[in-house]
Amino acid sequence: MPSAKELVNKFNDMKTLPHVAIRLTKMISSESTTMQDFEEVIKLDPILVVRLLKLVNSPFFGLANKVDSIAKAVVFIGMKNLRNLVAVEAIRDLYNNKSGEQGFSRQILWMHSATVAILAQMIGQRIFALDDEDIFLAGIIHDIGLIVEDQLVSEQLRVACDMFYQDDKSLVECENEVIGTNHSKIGGLLCREWKLSEEVLDAVKSHSGSTKKFAIPSIPSILHIAEYLACKMKYGPLPDYQIPLQSYLVPHVKDMMPEYKILVKALPGEMKKAKELYGPIEKTV
Amino acid sequence: MFDEQIDGIFEDLADDLAELRVVLEPLQALVPEGFFQLCDDHGRICSLPENFNIEPEVRSRLLADARRAHTLISFERDGQRFYGYRLPGSETILLFQLPQLTDDLLVDSFTRDGFVNTIQLALLNRINQETVIENRQLQRHIKGLGLQHQKLIDENYEQYQRIQEKEKEYARKLESEIARQTRELREANIRLEEASRMKGEFLANMSHELRTPMNAIIGFAGLLAESSLDEEQADFVETIRKSSASLLVLINDILDLAKIEAGKLDLEEIPFDLHGLLKSVTDMFRSQALDKNNKVMFVQDQKLPAKFMGDENRLRQVLINLTGNAMKFTKNGTVDVLADFVKQEGDRFAIRFAVSDSGIGIPPDRQAAIFEKFTQADGSTTRKYGGTGLGLSISCQLVELMHGEVQLESAEGKGSTFFFVISLPKAVDEAPSEAPKIVTAESGDEVKRKLRVLVVEDNLVNQKLATLLVKRQGCEVDVAGDGFQALEKLRQFQFDLILMDVQMPKMDGHEATRKIREIEATSARIKYAGLAGIDPVEIVGLTAHARKEDEQKCYDSGMNGFLTKPIERDKLNEILQKRSH
Repeated sequence: MPSAKELVNKFNDMKTLPHVAIRLTKMISSESTTMQDFEEVIKLDPILVVRLLKLVNSPFFGLANKVDSIAKAVVFIGMKNLRNLVAVEAIRDLYNNKSGEQGFSRQILWMHSATVAILAQMIGQRIFALDDEDIFLAGIIHDIGLIVEDQLVSEQLRVACDMFYQDDKSLVECENEVIGTNHSKIGGLLCREWKLSEEVLDAVKSHSGSTKKFAIPSIPSILHIAEYLACKMKYGPLPDYQIPLQSYLVPHVKDMMPEYKILVKALPGEMKKAKELYGPIEKTV
Repeated sequence: MFDEQIDGIFEDLADDLAELRVVLEPLQALVPEGFFQLCDDHGRICSLPENFNIEPEVRSRLLADARRAHTLISFERDGQRFYGYRLPGSETILLFQLPQLTDDLLVDSFTRDGFVNTIQLALLNRINQETVIENRQLQRHIKGLGLQHQKLIDENYEQYQRIQEKEKEYARKLESEIARQTRELREANIRLEEASRMKGEFLANMSHELRTPMNAIIGFAGLLAESSLDEEQADFVETIRKSSASLLVLINDILDLAKIEAGKLDLEEIPFDLHGLLKSVTDMFRSQALDKNNKVMFVQDQKLPAKFMGDENRLRQVLINLTGNAMKFTKNGTVDVLADFVKQEGDRFAIRFAVSDSGIGIPPDRQAAIFEKFTQADGSTTRKYGGTGLGLSISCQLVELMHGEVQLESAEGKGSTFFFVISLPKAVDEAPSEAPKIVTAESGDEVKRKLRVLVVEDNLVNQKLATLLVKRQGCEVDVAGDGFQALEKLRQFQFDLILMDVQMPKMDGHEATRKIREIEATSARIKYAGLAGIDPVEIVGLTAHARKEDEQKCYDSGMNGFLTKPIERDKLNEILQKRSH
């Protein structure tokens, strides 16, 4: 049985992720990166340039003058938003390049990831007044481990999914049994490799539940609530997928129930906005 | 619809009655004395106060009535009055009692409507609460965005600083790179200067090597021309003479140029007569002008004083060159040499020298090129008119040394004017002194007394030539191959004149001269027949180096005169004649 590390190494060797995405991610965590450096790398990906300029010129930013240079655009949206843009782009491609099958489907997974990302961002913004781009990023990449598994051990993954539906076990448990590792672990390793923050890493590792308690608010706790809500809304990573809300978060959600209800009400509007900012979220195959 | 979905999302967590309570609480706040119960279509029942209860039978009745009716209904049982009201837009029924109210609410429409309004107000409160939450969330969002904005500003400021630092680093790198390149250039420059100096030295040495054979060629050709020759032979000799003369000019030009470029050419500052200079230049071209049917003349501005301080010879060289060029490219026309007053500053006069011709002119696109070395207006010119193109370049550089610049005005077919402005100080009026004499000695003047001349010269050809030249003047000649041999001769014989070559092996001319003067100054002179006389023997130096310092070196070593090689017959005659008087 392969270890998570082995799978990650193999995944990297396959160069599934666009070069530009990986370089930008590493640049953002470097202290000495300048706008010019970004410009040099972004230029290499025309789709990204178009998205970036579209984003910065969207009504969301409400700028008086049209921005037409890459460096200027990065100044306005910030480096982390840039990285999120890149991540969305990279992961959407990744999730789209295989047609859907019974059980596990990349399109369903993509809808799940996008929904969790937007919900998590909304929870941050609306409940905790936190506008940290890392929250969105954590949402968009939290199930990247499933993609790695689908890429490298897709048969085992399908067996694990079947087991999940038949037995009364969590998906992670089924993965551990069939594959020998799980998507949360793999996702965590990738986060480390991309030098993402510790909080994002913890969030990815524990998104479908863990014995650990995290602060409220924190990216792991927000991501878990978002994951829970998305599954409840039938936007789970697999059809008919549910997870229990971790017990330490139950009192918080109960207390804030009217707030969460209103937040969920506002989700379709936010999804629409996100579509404008990041391009279509639904499958584009 | 969507609301229901949302409720579904939270039903696991929902406190079943919390939602119903949200409706009741504002109602109770409005009507504190009332007992309320809310029943939804899922059968959930919420009471406020919590202990308020209605018998199931009564409740079923009330619920059925309220569902049917579209307004407030009432029902009385055992003296207790119950009311029921279906909340608008839902299946939820509100049941209540108002124990302190004895009359039926429904007796008049005024109180009924009043109470319905109260209930609706309470419901509005619930919607209002949602709006409040929404508003609160949006405010949080705005606060988050504010923080985010600040973060963005900080991030950009950091970027700005980072870029500044990088710029500084680039500047530092650039500076050190410039410093390095400057250093390298300086070193390269030093090497080049050294190479240039070596080249200069080489050329100076070449000068001697070149002039020595020229000396012989010109000298012997001259002698040959004087011997009896048939017409063809005379023609051959004339060709040799002309060719060697132009070769000598060329060699001198090249050496001059080398000297100028090596920075080894120093200008003299001696008094000279401007009129004399201009005249001598135009005089030189009289016969050539006649041949080409040109009129050559000079005009000197009346406002200019007669005498100036300066390097007359170099100035003449420039004017001769410019005039020569003008003459070369003009036929049946005029060549004017002009000296015009420009301005006066104290003792200094700015003079504009110009050589103007009515010749073929120079097209505008070639005007810049002719100032380049070895260039004429076009290749065909060289074939047609000859010349190396060196002369103008030398002239330009000489004028530059005089702090002027040679300029050109020309129109094709209409002639050219070369001119330059230089500033010269007026000569202090002293006794009419060394106004340069153009050598006028007529060749063939017989030397009156028969002189004995010792020629000291190592080169056999030159020895022979000098001997012949001196003999021609009716002198007796003896020869010595170097300084030692010369002293040997002097021990035995008397001489009226010694022609002493400067560059010789073993003991050179300077050393030999010093030795002779040394002997003359002591009693040792008695041992030398040639040096025993009262007057010191006259020694004239012969050198291929025509430089001022070479001349000075001859005088320094004790010589009385100085002749450049190739020996000009006229100058030799002058010396011999002076000695014989």
